[in-house]
Amino acid sequence: MQTVTPFDTGKHHICIDFLLIDNTGTRHDCFGVVDTGAPRTEFSDAFLVHAGLIASVESDISIQPGLQTQKHDTLVLPSVVICGQSLKDFPVMVSRFDEGWGIGALIGLDFFRRFRVTIDYERGNLICEPYVVA
Amino acid sequence: MESEKLTWEDMQERYPNEWLVIVDYETDETGRFLCGVVKRHSADMDEAAMPPMVGTRTAFRYTGESTFRGLRSHANRHAL
Repeated sequence: MQTVTPFDTGKHHICIDFLLIDNTGTRHDCFGVVDTGAPRTEFSDAFLVHAGLIASVESDISIQPGLQTQKHDTLVLPSVVICGQSLKDFPVMVSRFDEGWGIGALIGLDFFRRFRVTIDYERGNLICEPYVVA
Repeated sequence: MESEKLTWEDMQERYPNEWLVIVDYETDETGRFLCGVVKRHSADMDEAAMPPMVGTRTAFRYTGESTFRGLRSHANRHAL
């Protein structure tokens, strides 16, 4: 099914709400940035702790000079809803984000390559439609 | 604990540059956050994240202006 997700065209990047569904089936809402330059989707370790999907964040993990995220683990998320599209067992990188970014995820091409995607800047809409399997 | 339901704009005004854990929240039909009850808040992301809220429907959000400018920090002087 085609979905239409609005975004604020005045922002520096395309920022959207998304849902992470934990192991009890409970929904956790957060804000994420669409990053079509990222091959893999990254989730904030703090957000994953909040949702109970990882136990804690190692205290010695910090963002290294020259980088702006610090990937330190991988995780298969039970279920996510991004742009109104539900994905089960979605593998992501677990990363330390700068808290000033104010986001819970960088949504990369591993999500978007599953869909026909239209970015309509005039209307401020991100349109996603799954490919039809022949 | 707060019990008053606030709009996102109210939250930004009342808790500037803070991470919020919000319960009893509402979204529009596209999933865009509208309003809710602030359960806890902190300027520190990790402090706001703890303890985990397993089994409780929550929104985890930052009220400040995002400083994210992309991942090419070495091109900072040339980035828009």
